[in-house]
Amino acid sequence: MHKTLLSIFLLSFCIDSYLLAQEVNVYSTRHYDSDYDLYKQFTNDTNIKVNIISGKGGALLERLKAEGKNSPADIFFTVDAGNLWKVQKEGLFQSIISPKVLDTVPSNLRGPNDEWTAIAKRARVIFYNPSFVSEQEITNISYESLANEQWRSRIVIRSSSNMYNQSLVASLIAKNGEKETEAWAKNLVKNLARKPQGNDRAQIIAVANGEADLAIANSYYIGIMLSGSAGKEQLEAAKKVQMIFPNQQGVGAHINISGAGILKYAPNPKNANLFLEFLLSEKAQEYIVNRSYEYPIVNVAVSKEMSTFGLDFKEDATSIKVYGELNPDAIRLMDRVDWK
Amino acid sequence: MPIVIVLFSLLGPYSENWHHLVDYVLLDYASTSLCLAGGVALLALSIGVTTAWVVTNYNFIGKAVFEWALILPLAIPPYILAYTFTGLFDSYGDANNLLRKIFYLEDTYIFFPNVRNIPGAIIVFAFTLYPYVYLVTRNSFLNQSRSLKEAGRLLGLSQFQVFYKIALPLARPAFIGGLMLVMMETLSDFGAVDHFAVQTFTTGIFRTWYGLYDLDTAMQLSSLLLLVIAMFYFIERRMTKDIKHTTNNSTFTTSAEIEIKGLKGLVAFLVCFIPIFVGFILPITQLGVWAIETNMDLLNARFLSTSLNTIVIAVFSGIICAFLALIINFSVRLNISALLSSLKSFLSIGYALPGLVLAVGIMKLFVYLDRSFVSEFGFVITGSLVGLLLAYIIKAYALANSAIESGYTRISTSIDNSAQLLGSSGWRLLSKIHFPLMKTSFLTAVLLVISEVVKELPATLVLRPFNFETLAVTTYMYAAEERMYQAAGPSIAIVLIGLIPLIFLTKMIRSSRTT
Repeated sequence: MHKTLLSIFLLSFCIDSYLLAQEVNVYSTRHYDSDYDLYKQFTNDTNIKVNIISGKGGALLERLKAEGKNSPADIFFTVDAGNLWKVQKEGLFQSIISPKVLDTVPSNLRGPNDEWTAIAKRARVIFYNPSFVSEQEITNISYESLANEQWRSRIVIRSSSNMYNQSLVASLIAKNGEKETEAWAKNLVKNLARKPQGNDRAQIIAVANGEADLAIANSYYIGIMLSGSAGKEQLEAAKKVQMIFPNQQGVGAHINISGAGILKYAPNPKNANLFLEFLLSEKAQEYIVNRSYEYPIVNVAVSKEMSTFGLDFKEDATSIKVYGELNPDAIRLMDRVDWK
Repeated sequence: MPIVIVLFSLLGPYSENWHHLVDYVLLDYASTSLCLAGGVALLALSIGVTTAWVVTNYNFIGKAVFEWALILPLAIPPYILAYTFTGLFDSYGDANNLLRKIFYLEDTYIFFPNVRNIPGAIIVFAFTLYPYVYLVTRNSFLNQSRSLKEAGRLLGLSQFQVFYKIALPLARPAFIGGLMLVMMETLSDFGAVDHFAVQTFTTGIFRTWYGLYDLDTAMQLSSLLLLVIAMFYFIERRMTKDIKHTTNNSTFTTSAEIEIKGLKGLVAFLVCFIPIFVGFILPITQLGVWAIETNMDLLNARFLSTSLNTIVIAVFSGIICAFLALIINFSVRLNISALLSSLKSFLSIGYALPGLVLAVGIMKLFVYLDRSFVSEFGFVITGSLVGLLLAYIIKAYALANSAIESGYTRISTSIDNSAQLLGSSGWRLLSKIHFPLMKTSFLTAVLLVISEVVKELPATLVLRPFNFETLAVTTYMYAAEERMYQAAGPSIAIVLIGLIPLIFLTKMIRSSRTT
């Protein structure tokens, strides 16, 4: 009796969030301001309200796991394929069946059983300072060649705690095997100009200022820096560096994705489907790539900043699916070679 | 409960990852954490105690302002100070650029040393957290009887000897309490050390959890950290147990201040000014510059509702925490229940757990509660405001407890005895006698919790309901995307809201002089 009364009392607190039928609930690890405007557009188009909880990937996954069948979440939207793999491994996604989505997105950018789909792409590329790096040194550069002795104490890269580095190393393990990758990482660490520190932009700035000759960082950061929205100094720094896609002679540059999937216990699966279709529509894609400077999944017109640093490049076709699986191996490998 | 869940993980089994950690990185994590905690403890203690001594015993230029301004750095979360530090002192940061411009130096000239290392992190934590030591130590110095010090002087001790032979030992229980808070907050921090790429236990915990996908091993690491803290805690309890002293109020006279001028006055001025400058003026200026450069439009509806959310939930948590601490400490004082006494130590240690690990523990507890009591209706506590409030209480209880506890040490037990003889016991003793005597401590407790909750991030991120944002969340979202310029606006708002309780505190500090 008491229990029921208490339940009814407490239930009244959250009643409004459960009774409004037309909504889609999103757990997101993307923290872009522009995403909010995007969701608003979706609501305008469809009259479906978008409810958001944004947080860190691991923590949101724990919440999903703990909530189980009662979870209110419909969509998991994240950056880095590793995060998608974790949810997939727990069996918390349902397969996407929308033909619109499946026709748009190539299969190497979807989960093994279509548990998730890419929404946008980013490449992990090389930035160099043309005052210190010759044309001849940099053409035909590959991730593998960064371990060569000619780069001794000339490279900057961020800490191995960062998931972009973990995915890069995971992809190299998939491609070259663990042994070879460990030898590579050992030499790369020797080639570092300083102890890994700061974020991707800090690496680009270090190259612009001549603290190092070459940096490994994600492609879209240069777009944000060039747009001027991050301040004058970053704009100045961005103008001093050049960007190059590695491994163009070989398998292509390492790419990663922003992606999303529909959750197994989604209370609003129809709306979730519409939401995914919307994110892959031309309108939304154009909006995303011109604000976050990621690469689109469908062909859309891109901004000036995007086109200045290159659009046509060869992508590593290694399926993004393996990053998540090999991530723990990548971390243990980096621990062994003392990549801080 | 959440702490028990974490501790249970120590029973094993231990995975392959655990052995990998032991082989390659555990020693590194442990030594870095130890260096960091030790360095911060020393520096925060020196700053907190010296400034407290100077402002309670001397009169010099600016002293009236310093007395309250010394707690301002409490409004700056360590991670925000870390962000501004790199913005200023990186090789091409604003401070280096400014020096180069002023002295027409070459582009390659770098004046400030690198801050992204352990010494840099020590400075960041010590200068944002020393007020915890300052607050309690100053209170203790103020309450020390003048006659004790005069006796010391009569027996031929110099002013300095009076400080370290009489005043300091008397203040020890107080500042050790403050110091524990400082160390716990340092060890559980993620934001600042991650930004500096200093690998501590806490960054190791996250790396294991997110990167190795091994929550169990991460929990085992957390438990290890907790055990170390618990050890400190009980050693401290042991050490201060024998030196319980309560002041006899009837013969109490406050200390007189010594007038100082000239060089000595300047030294005193600098001793107080530098902590405020590094811990408050510098970061606020940098944030202000960033905010102006981006022309942030702050007065929009989303920003206002975010601020309102932050304030309301912080105030609620503050009041609930303080009441809880009052009742628990009261029961402990009267030996009502041994269970409560152990609950008190337990809740206090929760403060040292990395916020996100604690958050996961709390979440599991909530889901369990929901499942056992209200399962047929879905979730009631999990992902609700009530749940978030509970999480804040678990997280910030230690702060309220330390304020209330130190308040109780100043109420002589003879008062309890007289009251009980006159027939006031139980609830009446608490409400009619203790509460009025403890008003200041109670308010301090509320305010400390508010300033903590305003800054709280990890638990808010995982446990909040849909579309509920706080200022710390907004700041984090920008900072995570490496957009410090846009993060400046909400950061300033956090600082400003954190200042409101501090202004109350400073008012209390001023009036505590006159009594």
